[in-house]
Amino acid sequence: MALALVACGSGGEYPQKDITIVIPYNPGGGFDTYVRAVARSLENHLPNDVNVLAKNSPGAGGRRGASDVFRAKPDGYTIGVFNLPGVLVPELQKIPIGYKLSEISWLVTMGRDPYAFSVRGDSPIKSMDDIGSLGRNVLYGATGPGSTSYIVTNIINEVLGVPYEVVTGYKGSSSYVLGLIRGDFDAALVSMSTARPYLESGDIRALAIFGSESEDPDIADADNLGVPHLGDLSVVRMIGGPPGLPEDISATLEEALLAAMEDPEFKVWLQDTGNQVQPKGSADTAKAVSAMSEFYENFEQFLN
Amino acid sequence: MIDLLSQAASDLLSLQTMLFLVLGVGVGLIFGVIPGLGGTTALAILLPLTFGMQVIDAFAMSGGIMGAVAMGGSISAILLNAPGTAPSAATCLDGYPLAKQGRAAEAIGAVATASPLGGLFGVLTLLLVLPLAREIVLLFGPPEFFLLAVFGIVTVAMSDSSNLLRGLIAAGVGLMLAFIGYDAVHGGVRFAFASDYLWDGIPLIPSLVGLFGMAEMIGLSIKGGTVAADTATVRVDGVLTGVRATLHNWKVVIRGSVIGTLIGAIPGVGGTVATFIAYSTTKKADRDPESFGTGRIEGVIAPESANNAKDSGALLPTLAFGIPGGAEMAVFLGILVLHGMQPGPAMFVDHIQDVYGLILALTFAAVLASIIGLLSVRWLAAITLVKGQILAPVVIAVSLVGVYAINSRPGDVVLAAVLGVLGHLMIRFDFPRLPLVIALILGETAERGFQQSMMIGQGDWRIFVHSPTSIVMVLLIFVSLSWSVVPYLRKRSSTHKSIPDS
Repeated sequence: MALALVACGSGGEYPQKDITIVIPYNPGGGFDTYVRAVARSLENHLPNDVNVLAKNSPGAGGRRGASDVFRAKPDGYTIGVFNLPGVLVPELQKIPIGYKLSEISWLVTMGRDPYAFSVRGDSPIKSMDDIGSLGRNVLYGATGPGSTSYIVTNIINEVLGVPYEVVTGYKGSSSYVLGLIRGDFDAALVSMSTARPYLESGDIRALAIFGSESEDPDIADADNLGVPHLGDLSVVRMIGGPPGLPEDISATLEEALLAAMEDPEFKVWLQDTGNQVQPKGSADTAKAVSAMSEFYENFEQFLN
Repeated sequence: MIDLLSQAASDLLSLQTMLFLVLGVGVGLIFGVIPGLGGTTALAILLPLTFGMQVIDAFAMSGGIMGAVAMGGSISAILLNAPGTAPSAATCLDGYPLAKQGRAAEAIGAVATASPLGGLFGVLTLLLVLPLAREIVLLFGPPEFFLLAVFGIVTVAMSDSSNLLRGLIAAGVGLMLAFIGYDAVHGGVRFAFASDYLWDGIPLIPSLVGLFGMAEMIGLSIKGGTVAADTATVRVDGVLTGVRATLHNWKVVIRGSVIGTLIGAIPGVGGTVATFIAYSTTKKADRDPESFGTGRIEGVIAPESANNAKDSGALLPTLAFGIPGGAEMAVFLGILVLHGMQPGPAMFVDHIQDVYGLILALTFAAVLASIIGLLSVRWLAAITLVKGQILAPVVIAVSLVGVYAINSRPGDVVLAAVLGVLGHLMIRFDFPRLPLVIALILGETAERGFQQSMMIGQGDWRIFVHSPTSIVMVLLIFVSLSWSVVPYLRKRSSTHKSIPDS
């Protein structure tokens, strides 16, 4: 109790009531459970014994959740999760969205999820060199036009100069992975967190990885392929609050979130589920947002 | 496998785990009975609570919910013509006419027998085909999905050969409704009339509540009286007649179970399609198809045996690939991930014992839900004796609150009301509502499957006969067409002949 009072004294009066964390997806998805695990652990690291409530605000590809947070009172009792480039791309496409990412009070980065350039386990395409020599367009699978998977597929192929076509309309990443295993198309860009179990089972094979350095000599990365500027292609999960969050509150939240992601109990959960975190503080997160925004602006022609 | 099964059974039979199972069954029955709510809502609400539980307890509770929701949903389908859950909508077709004749208890007795039998059949099939799960799921690509959707729509729209044109018109309207909103393949928004609400398309549950529940309640309040036409004929002691009728019609039970398991296993198609196809196949195979819809007990038995069988089927793609067979399975997937299980090919290696535990929980739940359902049938059947002026506003209010509770969107309430009026008009002018619903459900699957097939096949139509599965689907469509068109043409030619004779 005395300890709690000391902690309370150093962090000011905040927080006095329960904190809501907005999850921009349906309950039950992989992303939802990930955030709920962080939220549970966050309770142990906040002063004043308050609860952290997860609130699902799904819809419009994550944009509804983002605008919920943007419009909330900047009192530290509403924060939210942002999935970039998912919420960034519509902003660059000048779709009316109801938020400005540059004004969000960024708190932490939870993790970076690189893209694996994947083919079917028994595909005749053995390396990135083979994709240019099929003698026909390479067929890819993705979710709808305007989705991150579609845009990333376009960017990579245009930069590599490969003739290609995209089969769109898959319901989500696990659904086009199934399409890849079934042989609907030749290749797909799959985020690592989705791809991992299928890579381990040998159903699919990764030829290259974008968004991190490859540790496997058989798997190329952006540097090996001579396109280092594609090294930033990855899904990044960040937590932020409404614009104008007071500095002392955002400092308390940042500290607690970073501690939550280092929590031993949470680490056990990560290990059990095969999830990963690469925590970064608020300054790095804000920097990463503007870097990503610049990166995608270079590819404006694929955004529409 | 026997070792693993008995191990799983002994895990499940501990007092604590059984308590969670019973809790799940109770929650499932209640959420099933209230129109608009259902297994998806119940699982979503309880999802965070399972976090601190042991895996087997979480599975027992979710299995309890999934096994019991079907029973609850069918009770309101029969008594109120308001399907408590979407897959129970097919049970309305003959269940409600039975209730009107005062045979509600008999219908519920049939449900309580057919649904656990279907569940058991599904579980046995699941155990047998688990080793083949991957192969089965991989048989269905975009061309097969398209053909399956066409098969579903054709079978249902043309199931009544005396009313062929009206069935096709209703299916056409259903397709038009299905195409509203965002086109997932090409990214445009169609027919949304600049309304944000219509962006995501016409949602299924408000539509079902409107077309079935609301429509009937509008009719009831206009006509007055009670659901059972003659209160003197209501027999609440008919439960055993229903049980006997189900056992007597064991062929219908098996057919429904097979259809339920098969269609449940195809991701993205879902239980509602399974129960409807089971219904219309049974109707067609019957000697007297015309009498369906007027209160045939077989019309309850068929969809009900599919209703619980489909859960086992839907587990296949969920566990083997992490692709949920339906909305309920999508939430269940979250429970798996929460407990550190990554659904996918490795699931059957790493967590096979938990998988067996879940399968057993589903079985127990189906049986338990039936027993509880049967015990309470006497009180439930009394609902049909309540006067329309009292019943209609209560059911309408509860349904609309349920519809609103799903997504807190006022538009859902408006949609349910609008489709309620449409449904009422369809009853009055003798248009079947079933083809509209099935086309609304399958329209998106058909469209997506067709467009993706064309992209994959680079515009070549032969993509639709490229695999043995797709050839079988094409043949099934032709068989189904000739089944309905031939009697229709025969009837027409005989009426034509009779004109010069007279």
